[in-house]
Amino acid sequence: MLVKRDLKPLAHIYLIEIIKGLAITMKNMLFARNVTIQYPEERRNYSERFRGMHYIKATNGVENCTACMLCPTVCPAECIHIEAGERPDKEKYPVKFEIDVLRCCFCGMCEEACPKDAIKLSTIYEMSQSKRTVFSKDYLLEQRGHK
Amino acid sequence: MPKCTIDGREVEFSAGENLLEVARKVGVEVPYFCYHPGLTVVAQCRMCAVEIEKFPKLQTACSTPAGDGMIVHTRSEKAKANQKSIMEFLLINHPLDCPVCDKSGECDLQDNSYRYGDSYTRSTEERRTYIDLDMGPVIKKNMNRCIHCTRCIRFGAEVAGVREMVAIQRGNSTEISTIDGRPLETDYAGNYADICPTGSLTLKDFRFKKRAWMLKKTATVCEGCSRGCNMEIQQDGGSVYRCIPRKNMEINQYWMCDEGRFNYQYLMDPTRIVKPRIEGVNTTWSDAIGRLKATLSGKKATILVGTDLTVEELKLIQEMSASMLPGSTIAHIGTNGVSTTSDDGAEDQLLKRKSKTSNLHGAEKLGIAPYKSMASGSEAVLIFRGGKAELPALTGIKKYGVGVFTESEAQGFEVVLPSTSFAEKDGTIVNFQGKEQRLKRAINPMGQSKQIGEIFMLWKNSSSALRAEATGVA
Repeated sequence: MLVKRDLKPLAHIYLIEIIKGLAITMKNMLFARNVTIQYPEERRNYSERFRGMHYIKATNGVENCTACMLCPTVCPAECIHIEAGERPDKEKYPVKFEIDVLRCCFCGMCEEACPKDAIKLSTIYEMSQSKRTVFSKDYLLEQRGHK
Repeated sequence: MPKCTIDGREVEFSAGENLLEVARKVGVEVPYFCYHPGLTVVAQCRMCAVEIEKFPKLQTACSTPAGDGMIVHTRSEKAKANQKSIMEFLLINHPLDCPVCDKSGECDLQDNSYRYGDSYTRSTEERRTYIDLDMGPVIKKNMNRCIHCTRCIRFGAEVAGVREMVAIQRGNSTEISTIDGRPLETDYAGNYADICPTGSLTLKDFRFKKRAWMLKKTATVCEGCSRGCNMEIQQDGGSVYRCIPRKNMEINQYWMCDEGRFNYQYLMDPTRIVKPRIEGVNTTWSDAIGRLKATLSGKKATILVGTDLTVEELKLIQEMSASMLPGSTIAHIGTNGVSTTSDDGAEDQLLKRKSKTSNLHGAEKLGIAPYKSMASGSEAVLIFRGGKAELPALTGIKKYGVGVFTESEAQGFEVVLPSTSFAEKDGTIVNFQGKEQRLKRAINPMGQSKQIGEIFMLWKNSSSALRAEATGVA
């Protein structure tokens, strides 16, 4: 609905408001602290709960994952692909565990759904690649940047 | 009809019905483990105990016949307390390895634990463990997960007709196993995995392939023999993972044989031909159809139809071949030694039939004669086949195949046009009782396979045919 405002005559030229606004701008420009940082040299400290690159946690060299498929089930982006298998020391383990990180939306639901504390999101946020990469189990098992 | 009241809802029942079934009629769910409608009642899990007014103690709903004027409470304080303690009791020794277990997602113990059990455990003691012996090629046993419902023991003795599962030891150390640890003998072993309420007995074939909740289910009919057991195809992403029986009291009750259960495997056979072929070399549809027409039209052919095709397909072949290959004869092939419905008898006392194709009775209804020998004057053989019909030995004659063939079966064929199997098409099949049942399409045709109707359409309407028709009109 269009509302006609009843402005006072002086307000019609807006000049006072423009000067007020410029004053704020100038104050920020001249006296406020910088918000940006010099990225590659300077780094920000993120929270421990930051959701970055995934990794699979291992205990005594054995991956925690039992290929229960709860993470691909809960994943809204359908970026996790697991194939289960059997080996002598473990009844069920993931033969394949692939994450298509380009599809991932870093919602962290996989971490939340995991009953074995196996899939985790680290604090690593530098994931640029020169080509589309699907991260394999071997890559994900290397525990870099884990919490 | 007598009436009783269950949770305040009045329900009519016929004499002899147990409370569990009567409660289900009005939508009251009574939890249970050991009860199975197809087996005798033993009332040993105690999960279904309900409170009945004027009865001093809780009564198991599965073993109590409903009585006139009975007032039953299934969710009273007493009944709830019982359900809670039974759940706790059953979970004392259950390993709770649901992430590893194939049953999770369709597990009675899991479902009932969520609905009726506590979300925490009070037990801190070590859980008992067993060493599992091998149970043959079908079933994988995990005794740690067992809750001693004895459904498997009763199934073997009452349905499969083999007393092979027994409970040894007593009390806490009860172990369900085969006699002397022998492998299972019955041809119905897959049902052990279906009726097991926990993950103690699971299918080896399905082991770790997929989780139960990821599978898409299609209700269809088995094509393993002329019984036509009702079953469900469970697939994901176009590949079938398993088949499980559906209830149909007139045909297969609750069961299914292993032959039918694992029959789906030929669909994904790596040697199955899924591209049109000319003399063993993959080619395009138009080339293959062109070759078929160039070498077959105008000739007298013997058309062999597998009795594994649906009634619709058989009718289509009858009608189309009359106009497109005039003078040819149609005969059906199926199982060697079972050429007519009178040959088709029971193979065992439960479900299996001698005819190993599903639609022998339908083919006979359509008036197709069984194949005995090549019709005189035939210059070629055209075989339509759904994937199960046994091929007769044919030598010294040009062979054309339409349907599901493996590479070795199609050796020496002039042209092979891949068509669809029972899981890839809709249609009707007639079982040995004369019951017409619908096949439902569960997956898309593999590779470049086409339905038989589509193939006839290509055959009839390919460019040269159109040209010939055009000149005929002009």
